Amino acid sequence: MLGANIRRGAATGPPPPDVPELGRYRLRRTEDEVTSYIGMVIFLASWAMMFAALFFAYAVVRVRAPMWPPPDQPALPFLVPGLNTVVIAASSGAVVLGVRAHARGRHGRESLLLGVAAGLGAVFLGLQVLVWVGVWRAGLVPSGGPYASVFYALTAFHALHVLVGLAALAVLAMRSRARTATRTAVRLWGMFWHFVGVVWGALYVAVYLV
Amino acid sequence: MSTSAQVLAEAAQPIHPPPTSFWRQYVFSIDHKVIGKQFLWAGLLFLLVGGTLAMLIRWQWAFPYRPVPVLGQIFLGKSGGVIGPATYQQIFTTHGLVMIFFAVTPVLIGCFGNFLIPLMIGARDMAFPKLNMYSFWTFLLSQLLVLASFLTDLGSAGAGWTTYPPLSTNVGTPGLGQTLVVAAIFVTGVSSTMGAINYVTTVIRLRAPGMGYMRLPLTIWGIWLTAILNALFVPVLGSAALLLLLDRNFGTQFFVAGASAVRGGGDPILFQHLFWIFGHPEVYILILPAWGILGDVLPFFARKPHHWYKGTVLAMVIVTVLSAMVYGHHMFMTGMSPLLGEGFMLFTLLISAPSMVVVLNWVLTLWRGSLRFDSPMLFALATMFVFGVGGLTGLFLADISMDLYLHDTMFVVGHFHFTMAAASFIAAMTGIYFWFPKIFGRRLDERLGKAHFWFTFIGITLVFGGQLLAGYAGQQRRLFDPFQYTFIQQLRGLNRWTSFFAFALFAGQFIFVWNFFKTLFGRAAPAGANPWEVTTLEWTATGTPPPFHNFDRIPEVVRGPHEFSNPEVRRLTGRDFAGQAEVLPGGGERLVAAKG
Repeated sequence: MLGANIRRGAATGPPPPDVPELGRYRLRRTEDEVTSYIGMVIFLASWAMMFAALFFAYAVVRVRAPMWPPPDQPALPFLVPGLNTVVIAASSGAVVLGVRAHARGRHGRESLLLGVAAGLGAVFLGLQVLVWVGVWRAGLVPSGGPYASVFYALTAFHALHVLVGLAALAVLAMRSRARTATRTAVRLWGMFWHFVGVVWGALYVAVYLV
Repeated sequence: MSTSAQVLAEAAQPIHPPPTSFWRQYVFSIDHKVIGKQFLWAGLLFLLVGGTLAMLIRWQWAFPYRPVPVLGQIFLGKSGGVIGPATYQQIFTTHGLVMIFFAVTPVLIGCFGNFLIPLMIGARDMAFPKLNMYSFWTFLLSQLLVLASFLTDLGSAGAGWTTYPPLSTNVGTPGLGQTLVVAAIFVTGVSSTMGAINYVTTVIRLRAPGMGYMRLPLTIWGIWLTAILNALFVPVLGSAALLLLLDRNFGTQFFVAGASAVRGGGDPILFQHLFWIFGHPEVYILILPAWGILGDVLPFFARKPHHWYKGTVLAMVIVTVLSAMVYGHHMFMTGMSPLLGEGFMLFTLLISAPSMVVVLNWVLTLWRGSLRFDSPMLFALATMFVFGVGGLTGLFLADISMDLYLHDTMFVVGHFHFTMAAASFIAAMTGIYFWFPKIFGRRLDERLGKAHFWFTFIGITLVFGGQLLAGYAGQQRRLFDPFQYTFIQQLRGLNRWTSFFAFALFAGQFIFVWNFFKTLFGRAAPAGANPWEVTTLEWTATGTPPPFHNFDRIPEVVRGPHEFSNPEVRRLTGRDFAGQAEVLPGGGERLVAAKG
């Protein structure tokens, strides 16, 4: 990988003096980027409060419920959503590698990885739809009491975030092929994607497992 | 000559050419000054809407069942000008919501936050100018949703500004109006969050060289802490509104108590928790900018440094933290473990300690100052007074045993009007009178300003004082016709007089409207760069009105925000103040102790 950098350096101009420093130089953030990261962190903190409030609502409703799940309503599957946890984790991993590829200037690889991440996001949504359809067929509809309310509201609100994130990743995958995706855009959407993944982890444990 | 820190700041924020097309310049502008003005117009317009609704409520309490003159003919034609019970519900509900979310918030936070943060910290614009623009247009959308709700079949929201279920569910308040208003709350929350992210980041990242946190003007401290609260707690309201919308439109049961023995039900009280987790910080969201504005205007017009600046900053930070831990005091009567209630009572009473530090620092700032009684100063002093009354009545309500009697009476209404409404509103007026020359280039007329001041100050004190008395005598809040209860009938005179004072207060506001447009479009002379002879960057480091890029050169700040009456400054410059970035002749700033 370092060899590739040296060759590219030699082709475009005088080689940088200290090659091991090159990677670090490329990773160094500009002032504008730091500003954007801080904004993103505040945004995610803000959004975390929103999800925290939803989980709080879930906890209150659940504590008050006589039985959970109610005996006349289907239990939620945990295998397919568990697979989804793996899918979204893999997708986050692809984003990490994609960001790294961007830093190394390997835009073809970056585009591929971001595309894979977006594709895995689509797989996640597909599996989520399967879960919804299965549960709906088993007789659980949104108006079926607090149990159904919690399940549909939390998963749907989360799925909406997945949809936004995967659309952004898909656009970035196309842009990075054309080399117009900025490092900040890739990293910030990456942070958003990890956030969505972490929320899914909490949601999986709280809604499907416990 | 630029220092190296200035060169770096210049490199980070290069000057962009101003936009030339009309749309980019005045409508879809990313200039924080234009966006601040947009928020000001939107807020003042809705202040008029909210005020008109208040007048209708006061008419109802003074002359129930009688047709409303003028307004009744225009808006209540179907009922012959009489306010019916359902209409009354909508009036007091939308009065509260409009005033809090769509009038005071845009003026105090939207206008002053946007206009002042970059100018006062020495930045060329906000950290995220486009996000800033989206924030305004999202806000405008929420205002339109509120206006649209009035046009629906069953009218606007009618479940009280707190929107408690079960009243706010489909069962209690059917119709599209309530749904639109809940959606508007969600949308305005999104707008607030966008603004807050911008404000917090801007203050962290774009302070001019030398502008340490302990040199920030207190206005910026107030707005910054408010923005932090907004970023963290408005989303909680957002999820409450979201769940309520799901309950109303998709049949979920978060807040609907169900009858099913096996499935259980939702919990109406849950909404109260979510609402007040947001709602109590919201009180401080509205008052912290007001404190901040006072923290600057009082020393400016007392010609003295702010007394114990660091103490005030610390107190404001402590209040910000505590404000997140007291929401339970809104629910003493909801039913709560007594131990928990006592905890909330303790924290609530504890908040008065840092608040008193802030107030005492104001008083000590005034102590032996050479006061200038221009209209901003008069409004600032009035804010101190009404906030004092509001704070002291708060102690009654914070105490559980007292609250049992005063809960849901007009005393509560009087209390929160003195704090949230009166103090925030008069502080907003302080800010408008004070920064008007910087925003629009001219000073508001002083005589009209003073007339407006006396109407406002006396009016507000009498109106909300009347509410306190009525509440102490036992009058419940929100009653359509209070006098159907025999024990309230004796308060008819008090209510009627309170209403007369309210009408006078409302009429007095038109002096301000007249003054505003007269100054804006009349022949008043330009105010000049620094008409108040004060120290902060927006007055001393740039012109009036500031250019598109705010500062020709990003200033290097060398002293705190309130450098007044320093004998050494007077010897060197002949003035009793020194700008925050002013370099004194002969290297004089080394002689002047540049206090941090």
